[in-house]
Amino acid sequence: MSYVIALAGNPNCGKTTLFNELTGSKQHVGNWPGVTVDKKEGTYKKNKEISILDLPGTYSLSPYSAEEIIARDYIVKEKPDAVINIVDATSIERNLYLTLQIAETEIPMIVALNMMDEVAQRGDSIDYNKLSKSLGVPVVPITARSGKGLNELMEVAATVVKNKTVNKPIDVFDENIKNAVQEVKAVLKEEREEDKDWKALKIVEGDEIITATLSDSQKSVIEGIIKEAEKAADGDTEAKIADLRYQFIAKLVKQAVKKANKGYSETRSDKLDKILTNRILALPIFAVVMYILFACTFSENFLFIPGLPSPGIWLAGLVETAWGTLSGALEGFLVGAGASDWLLGLVIGGIMDGIGAVAGFLPLVLVLFLLLSFLEDSGYMARIAFVMDRIFRRFGLSGRSFIPLLMGFGCSVPALMASRTLESDKDRKITMMITPFMSCGAKLPIYAMFAVTLFADQNQTMIVFSIYMLGLIVAILSSFILNKFVFNGEASNFIMELPQYRLPTIKSVLIHAWEKVKGFAIKAGTIIFGSTILIWLLSNFNFGGMCDMEESFLASIGNAIKIIFAPLGFADWRASVGVVTGWIAKENIVATFGQLYAGINDEAAIEAISAGEQALPQISNVFTNVSAYSYMAFNLLCMPCFAAVGAIRREMGSIKWTLRAVGFQMLVAYIVALIINVVGNIIF
Amino acid sequence: MKEMALAMVGIGETRVISNFRGKEEMKRHLQDLGFVKGELVKVVGENASGMILLVKGVKIALNRGLASQIIVE
Repeated sequence: MSYVIALAGNPNCGKTTLFNELTGSKQHVGNWPGVTVDKKEGTYKKNKEISILDLPGTYSLSPYSAEEIIARDYIVKEKPDAVINIVDATSIERNLYLTLQIAETEIPMIVALNMMDEVAQRGDSIDYNKLSKSLGVPVVPITARSGKGLNELMEVAATVVKNKTVNKPIDVFDENIKNAVQEVKAVLKEEREEDKDWKALKIVEGDEIITATLSDSQKSVIEGIIKEAEKAADGDTEAKIADLRYQFIAKLVKQAVKKANKGYSETRSDKLDKILTNRILALPIFAVVMYILFACTFSENFLFIPGLPSPGIWLAGLVETAWGTLSGALEGFLVGAGASDWLLGLVIGGIMDGIGAVAGFLPLVLVLFLLLSFLEDSGYMARIAFVMDRIFRRFGLSGRSFIPLLMGFGCSVPALMASRTLESDKDRKITMMITPFMSCGAKLPIYAMFAVTLFADQNQTMIVFSIYMLGLIVAILSSFILNKFVFNGEASNFIMELPQYRLPTIKSVLIHAWEKVKGFAIKAGTIIFGSTILIWLLSNFNFGGMCDMEESFLASIGNAIKIIFAPLGFADWRASVGVVTGWIAKENIVATFGQLYAGINDEAAIEAISAGEQALPQISNVFTNVSAYSYMAFNLLCMPCFAAVGAIRREMGSIKWTLRAVGFQMLVAYIVALIINVVGNIIF
Repeated sequence: MKEMALAMVGIGETRVISNFRGKEEMKRHLQDLGFVKGELVKVVGENASGMILLVKGVKIALNRGLASQIIVE
C-alpha cells in the first residue's frame, strides 16, 4: 500500500534533518506552484511505498506568510495520509502551538519529539505518555541528527495510516468559543464533519481567507454569532483563542516536563550570542567570517599567499583544465577522422564550450554553498540577518541581502542563488535585480584592457576602483528606486527566531550543497548551453555558410544596432558585437576586441591584454577616454552573462520576472552610460 | 505596574506583555511566536539593529520599531 506522509513543524525544529535521514539521497526538490518556496519530496529509504513530503517550516497555520498558507492548504485540502509533526523538545511550549493547530484539522497525526539528546543533556525528562494521552495522538521521542527513534516513528506512522487514527478533538477552548464554533458550524455546508469543525473554528478566529469563501447570507448570520462571542472574549476572539491554546499547553507542559534546573540557566548558545551579537564586536566578527567565505570561494591569493588558489578557484581550474584536455582530445580525434570545419566548430566551439561554461561554475557554486549551508545550519545566519538589518533597512533591503551582494564581487551565479535565503519575496527580487551590478571577477579584464590602453597617463587603479564603486552606488540607488516605485513597499518589520547554535552534520551540509549544484546544472544549464550555441552560430556563419566573425550574422547585427549606442559614445559595430559576446562571459569582450580591432587570435596575447600587461592601441582610434568609461559602465551594468541570467531564471521561478530583471538592468546600464557620455564630454 | 513600550525595557529585565499597538497581521504573527497577553518577556540582548528577547524559552530578535509597539508592564 503506498501512501504519503507530510512533515510539519516550526522552522529550526530539525525537520529537514529528519527528512534527509528518512529519505537519504532519494529526494527531489521543486517549487510550490507560484512561489519560491522549496517543495521537497522523497521516498522512505526503507520502504519505497511511502512518500515523504517536507512542508515548509511554519509557526502556525494562520495565514501570515506564503509558507504557512502552503502548509495549511496542503494539510487541509490535499489531505496527506498522515502528518508527522516535529516538535523541538527543547522549546516544547512554543512548538506545541502548531501541534494543537494541526490537531484541529483532524488529520491522522503523529508527534515526533525531536532533540531528545539535548533534553537528556540538560537533565530534563519528558513524560511522553502524558503528552500522548492529553493530545490524543501518538508521541514518539527521536533524535533526528543521530537517527535515533526513527524506525519506531515510522512504524507508529504506518499503524496510524493503516487504522486512519484520528485524534479526538482536544478540549482546549472555553464554553463561549465552543458555542460560537457550534453555531457557525450549523451555517456551513461542507460535507465532511471534520472540515466543518476546522472551518468553523477558523471563522471564529477571524481568518480572512476562510471568511472570504462564505456566501453573503452565511456572512450576515456569522457576523452576529461572532459579535456575540466577542463580547464574552474581551472584544477579540482571535487573541482569546490563542491565549486558550497557550494556557492548555502551559498546563500540559507543567505536568509532562520535569526540568532539572528550575530557572532559566545560561546555555552555551547564550554565551556565544553575547559575543556574536554584541553591540561592538558583532560587525568586526561578521566581517572576518565574510572574508573567509569570500576568500575560500574566489580568492586567487588564498591565505595571503600570492598565487595560491582558494578551494573554489582551484577546483574551477581543475574542471576547466580537464574539460580543455577532453575538448582538445576530441578535436584531435575529429580532425583525424576528417571532420568538416563546420562540424569541428559546432562540436568544439559550440557544444563543448557551451557545456564547459556551465561546468566551470559548478565548483564555485559547490564551495560557496558548502560554506553557506554550514552558516545556515549552525544558526549564525539568523544572527547575520539581525546584525546587518540596521544598515540594509536604510536601502529598503533586509540584512540577509548582504551575502548575495558581497558574493556578487566574486561571481554573480552563486551570489544570485544565495538570495534564496531571503525571506521576503520583495527583498529577494530586488536583491537579484541589483546583485549583477556588483562587479564580478570576469568583468575585470575589460577594465584592465581599457585602463592600460586609454588611461595610461592616469592613475589606473583609481579608474578601475571607481568602476567598482559605480556598481555599488548604482546598486544602492536602484534598491531605493525599486523599493519606492516598483514594489511600493514600506519598511517591513524585522522579527526572527534566533535558533540555538548547533554544529551542523556533514551529511546535511553536503545534501544542501549538492541540491544547489544539481539545481543550477539542470535549470540554469539549459539557458547557458542554448545561448552559448546560438551566439556561436551567429558569430561563425552568414547566409553563405561558415565565415570569419567580421562577415558573420553577428557583424551584421552589430552594424544594425550600433546606432542605439551612438548616444553612449560608441557607435561602432565591433563594440556592439563585444556587448553581445560579453553575454556568454564578460571576459569574452577582450577576445572579441582583440580579434575584431587587431586581428589577434592568439590566446597568449589575449591573456596578456586581459591581465593589463599589454595594451590594445587599435581601440584608441575608436574610443575616447569618455566613451571608454561609458563602455565599461555599460558592460558592468547591462544584462549579466547567460549563466547569471540562468541563475535569475531559476531563483525567480518566473520568466516574466527574469525578463523584468534583465530589462531593468539594460535600462539602468543605458541611462548611466548616457549620463557618463554626456556629462563626460561637457567636462573633458 | 506602569505600562511602557518594550523598547524602553533595559537588558536583563523581565516584563509582562499587556498589549500590542500595531497591525492585526503582525499581532497574529507575534501570537504564533508566543507573544500573548500575560506572557513573560525578558530582554537578553540589544544592538544597533534592535533587541533580543526570550519568550517561552526561545530567543527572538526584532527591530526597535516593532519593540516599541509591544506594550508591557
